[in-house]
Amino acid sequence: MQRCLECAKKEPDRPCVECRYFIQPSPLRRVPSPPVRVFLEDEHGRQYPAHILALNTTEFGLETEAPVPGRYVIRLQESLWIEVAGVPFKGKNNVHVFDVLRVHRKRGTARRLSREEYQLLAGSAGELVQEITRYLPEHLQDLVREKLLAEVEKSELINALKVGKVMKYERGRFRYLSGRADLDLPMEEAEKLMRQATRQAEHRREVVISADGQKVFDLHGVPFDHRSGGLLAFDITEVIEKERKMHRQEMQAYREAIAAVTGGRFYLVNGDEMEKVVSEGTELAQGEVRQTHDIPEARRVIQEALPVLDSRRRHAVILCLTEALANALKHAGGGCWQARQSGDTVRIIVQDRGPGIKTSELARATLMQHYSTKNSLGCGFTLMLYYADYLYLNTGPSGTALALDFGVVPADRLKQDQ
Amino acid sequence: MLKVDVDVYVDRGVCRLVLNGELDVETVAQLQEVVGKAGEHTLEVDLSGVSFVDSTGLKSLLDISNDWRQKGGRMLILRPQPDVAEVMRLVGLDRLLAQNTAPGGEER
Repeated sequence: MQRCLECAKKEPDRPCVECRYFIQPSPLRRVPSPPVRVFLEDEHGRQYPAHILALNTTEFGLETEAPVPGRYVIRLQESLWIEVAGVPFKGKNNVHVFDVLRVHRKRGTARRLSREEYQLLAGSAGELVQEITRYLPEHLQDLVREKLLAEVEKSELINALKVGKVMKYERGRFRYLSGRADLDLPMEEAEKLMRQATRQAEHRREVVISADGQKVFDLHGVPFDHRSGGLLAFDITEVIEKERKMHRQEMQAYREAIAAVTGGRFYLVNGDEMEKVVSEGTELAQGEVRQTHDIPEARRVIQEALPVLDSRRRHAVILCLTEALANALKHAGGGCWQARQSGDTVRIIVQDRGPGIKTSELARATLMQHYSTKNSLGCGFTLMLYYADYLYLNTGPSGTALALDFGVVPADRLKQDQ
Repeated sequence: MLKVDVDVYVDRGVCRLVLNGELDVETVAQLQEVVGKAGEHTLEVDLSGVSFVDSTGLKSLLDISNDWRQKGGRMLILRPQPDVAEVMRLVGLDRLLAQNTAPGGEER
């Protein structure tokens, strides 16, 4: 907390953006260059100019004369404004971290910037849209820009704008306007899209894979009138690969954080690692859960299969199995379970084919007490973390697998030791 | 499996539910149904015959307690078995426990 104060005295000229105590360095930290200029508005409507020096999805590093602490609103667009609060002990001089309190969108509010809003600030989509629409007829430029920006806001693939191509469509024919001329587009699909867009007089978007399966295109059809319009095409092959890579990096960061806060007891594992986790040792029992009635039945089956245990350990195992099964039932409509033993370890495994836990919700869902996306006490994971010795989780769009390890010193050996 | 017996002590305004079996995602509805019919000031839930409570069971106890408090009454949990008591303590529901309470709410 004192760090920034001390720094202000010792090294008043050292730029905050380079400091790791300013905004946590992570894959989502961005330093826009040049800094993005915005206005902070206080509750009395007074405006302070500010520059965004750095940002991630929950914080801004701002250079501004606006008093800190204090609450302000940053208006990005008519339908997008952000409430922020200055953090006095993060930053120095006229540079401070501002926490994102709430993001207001046309529909609803959020506690952090969406990926797109963040990208809108971090990248320079606005300029690209300006550039890309420069050759359109003047009376259409504003209209198309507005529509494009709105679309860009929605698009998860905003980086794609860097490899775009713009064409004009009129009565079934295309004319090259701007962007990458050598971009080889699937013209058949493009024409179909433009026909739909002009006929229905509304913006159409489609993601198309090239005939050879090598390229992925994001196509936008913007109608001008009932027979002409603009086609914007983006090669998003790389972007999709980048998204995947980013997802992997994000998972790695979560993995380390979760292992650290649980004292190395809770592991996020990948599919191959999980494969190994679920096949070690020998099977004691297994079953399937499709309705609540199957859960007490699973308890009965596992009770019979477990080695002789002291009653507290036994209770821990059946409670954790119940919680894991209840989660699978609630979030995935069911799943299957098995109990395995290797040496003095009993491992409970529950697998489902549900939509998975979102990365952004992973830490909260797994570690925060009483947090639940569906309405329940949300303490299932808390209980599992308390009772199990080791936990392994693999989650993705094709399902979730959870394995829990319990050290089981058999009751007879306990007696011998005493 | 859950069995719920209801004893009403009209003079003291106490409704006591004696539970036997398991209170979990499968059986909470039974408890909620019985509770829905109770109208006394104090609701006592005797867990001495309950061998197992899961997080859904805990949640329903919490909901019932909140509901009762909102109506100006109170809910107490009596005599949980050690394993169940430990789980209640873990999630902070031990505050609903009645200490040393004799049948009918008399202090011993």
